[in-house]
Amino acid sequence: MRALTLFFMLFSFSYADQYTFLMDKYDKEIELEAKILFKIATVSTRGDITLFIPEMTPVEAKVYGKFFTLTPDCQGANFVFVNKTTTDTIPCNASGKLFFTNNYKKLLSDRKFFGAFFWAKSRPNIVFLKNRLAVQNITLPQAYDHYTEELDVP
Amino acid sequence: MRSRDTALAAVVSLPVYKVFMKKVIVLLLFLANALFADALDSLLQEYQSTTEKSLKTVNEKLGHVVIYSQQELRMMQYTKLDDILKELPLMSLGKNQFGSSSPLLTGSKAVSGFFRFFINDYEISSAYLQSPSLTWGNLPLDFVDHIEIYYGDSSFSMGNTTGIYFVRIYTKSAKKENGSELKSLVSSNGSNAQSFIQSQTFENGWSYLFFANTSKAKDDVKYKTNTLSNDENRRYLYADINDDTTKINIGYTDVKKDLFAGMSLDAAPDSGKLKSRDYFIDVTKHLLEDKSLKVNASVGVNERQYEEENAQGMGVVPILDFSNMPASILTGFYEDATFTKTNASLTKTFQYLNHNILIGAHASGKKYDLKKRTGVNFFGQKSDLRQYNNFNKENVYSLLFQYDYRATENLILIANAKVDKYQRNGYLGDTSEQLIRVGAIYTPYENLGFKGFYTRTYLPVSFYNVDFVNKNNPNLKSQQYELFTAEAVYTHGKSKFNLIYNNVTIDDFIYYTPVGFINVDHAVKTQGLILNYEYALANTDKITLNYFTSTQSEGASNYQRGGYVKYMGNYHKVDYFASLIYKGSFSYFDVHVKDSFDLSLGATYHFTKDFSVSLKGENLLKKSTESVYEEAFGIPFSLKTTPQRSAYLSLKWVF
Repeated sequence: MRALTLFFMLFSFSYADQYTFLMDKYDKEIELEAKILFKIATVSTRGDITLFIPEMTPVEAKVYGKFFTLTPDCQGANFVFVNKTTTDTIPCNASGKLFFTNNYKKLLSDRKFFGAFFWAKSRPNIVFLKNRLAVQNITLPQAYDHYTEELDVP
Repeated sequence: MRSRDTALAAVVSLPVYKVFMKKVIVLLLFLANALFADALDSLLQEYQSTTEKSLKTVNEKLGHVVIYSQQELRMMQYTKLDDILKELPLMSLGKNQFGSSSPLLTGSKAVSGFFRFFINDYEISSAYLQSPSLTWGNLPLDFVDHIEIYYGDSSFSMGNTTGIYFVRIYTKSAKKENGSELKSLVSSNGSNAQSFIQSQTFENGWSYLFFANTSKAKDDVKYKTNTLSNDENRRYLYADINDDTTKINIGYTDVKKDLFAGMSLDAAPDSGKLKSRDYFIDVTKHLLEDKSLKVNASVGVNERQYEEENAQGMGVVPILDFSNMPASILTGFYEDATFTKTNASLTKTFQYLNHNILIGAHASGKKYDLKKRTGVNFFGQKSDLRQYNNFNKENVYSLLFQYDYRATENLILIANAKVDKYQRNGYLGDTSEQLIRVGAIYTPYENLGFKGFYTRTYLPVSFYNVDFVNKNNPNLKSQQYELFTAEAVYTHGKSKFNLIYNNVTIDDFIYYTPVGFINVDHAVKTQGLILNYEYALANTDKITLNYFTSTQSEGASNYQRGGYVKYMGNYHKVDYFASLIYKGSFSYFDVHVKDSFDLSLGATYHFTKDFSVSLKGENLLKKSTESVYEEAFGIPFSLKTTPQRSAYLSLKWVF
């Protein structure tokens, strides 16, 4: 029994970059999405961020909750990330809030969004619309210039 | 030192430190953000590379899983499904008498529905054979995101068909592609293929992905004084239309090919053609706020036309009459048949504390509609051969229950049960079958894990089995399987060791003899062992070593041991790989098959993010695997599965 305990203790001192079995649902992608959104939210807002994601799933609540203060309703938020396709209208007063989406076409057609985090040509992309940044009084660091697009949309 | 993610997860799970640590993480990220604003680029790169590891859909509870990620598919230049199947352990990829790729269980050349293939939720296996469909076989992988292969019966939540290997093919996501892609491939052996993908996401959240491919393959083998031709033309169309809760998949494929050895007694048909066409629609809808109710329905049709002529005669087993051989040996055979399969299922998942429950009901129907089957015998007499038997319809109704319990943070207990009721027309009576499975996944340490399953399952008889049954004993029974599988994983640093053991006992094994299919009258036993070692050199660079060996209670009629060494890497704009697949020699009667070494090398140069050129050399040592065939009445011989050395050049343009 002692030998067995020693044998298993040896494993406990070992370290690993690789996983053995995925005991939980793999959420690293969502975690990176949350990190990316946190960076965007941090440079776009002043002060504390309170995030609202419409129709948030339990996994999103768990992962985004590591980085953000979450709110279950839009009213209490100052940053709103619309990443569900079923959400057509958001029952929420847009004043004092920043809206971000994961759909580029939605960004172009709906003037409340100032940017989008989406996929194109198999690659993840971030786009901020220059005129919407100006309207919403957002100043991004210069390093974010290559994410900014000057499009002829309202 | 612990991995960053696990450490983070562990910290967050401790309530005392949760709030404090969250603030620390937020503060650190804030500082990092201020100092390295352009770090967003590297985060995006990490996000893309994580997504390409394709781990989101893995379900460890379904069996022992091997994943071919998007990254691996691209870097290793796997262009066809066969490129993957030929290296998988505990099986080999043969070529059947009609020249189609045929995955075979280790040690045996039997084809009895062990392998199940799915594109997303739809099972593409043939309704006739219950194994890979002739038309969907050797699928091009340009529209495939990743592939999961599960060992052990995992049919509980994947339709109501049973099997031993489940190959789940996930197509690329329309939302993530969101663009167009053209790919063209030419080969030194005269083969070529062109693919086109178009996908788009709309403002209302719906998105679509459309895929089209044409492939032309040249493949000739010398046998005695004849050249067996296996040239083929294939076309594939695929559409995936979806939003958050609905997924509609539509597929079409057709093939026109030469017969290879066909059914000719001298294994060399004078002339003939095989045409096959497959099309399906599959709709999946997730209902309720938590998407816990899933409804799925599908219809699939396969139309097959076969013509063969051979002056030396053909041995068509169902019509062979040993008391009147000259009249029953054909010189011409013509067939036109349609197979239809329909499926409907409803599954609901429940979660309560550490308990997960899935209950479901499935109904499926298969129909075998013969339009024409005629033959010409040695005396030139034409005859209408009609159906070989009166079995042409099958309905299956299933109830399933799937339960898992997270007993502790590192222990999951699994129990599955399923009841299938078969209604068959004709002389085969109705039957009921039961499946049970219990298992556990235990990870006592972060770098050590164990997994084990005990399964009782079965493989039903197929239309093919019944058509080609031994006429002296036509009452075929389903094959009863008892499987015990165990896996151990140990990781250290960048290394990962896997050990998988299986012990299988099969009652009523269905085996093809020169007089047709029989149920073997004694239990068939097999054991297997897979050793796998993986070393992750850098983010994408990886070396993998694999070895498997197996024993069978019957003699070997196929490869029993093998393995591979694979290396893939990236340097600046170049991806490169090397792969050596080994299968160990075996003897079957007087046929002695030598060791096989299939060496492939390749590189891809990315001129821009959107345009790349790839070069690949395959079967460079000209020592590919061999498949065993039978001439006349059971005289075996073997032929190289891939006789030629080939070079492939492909161009990919994304726009």
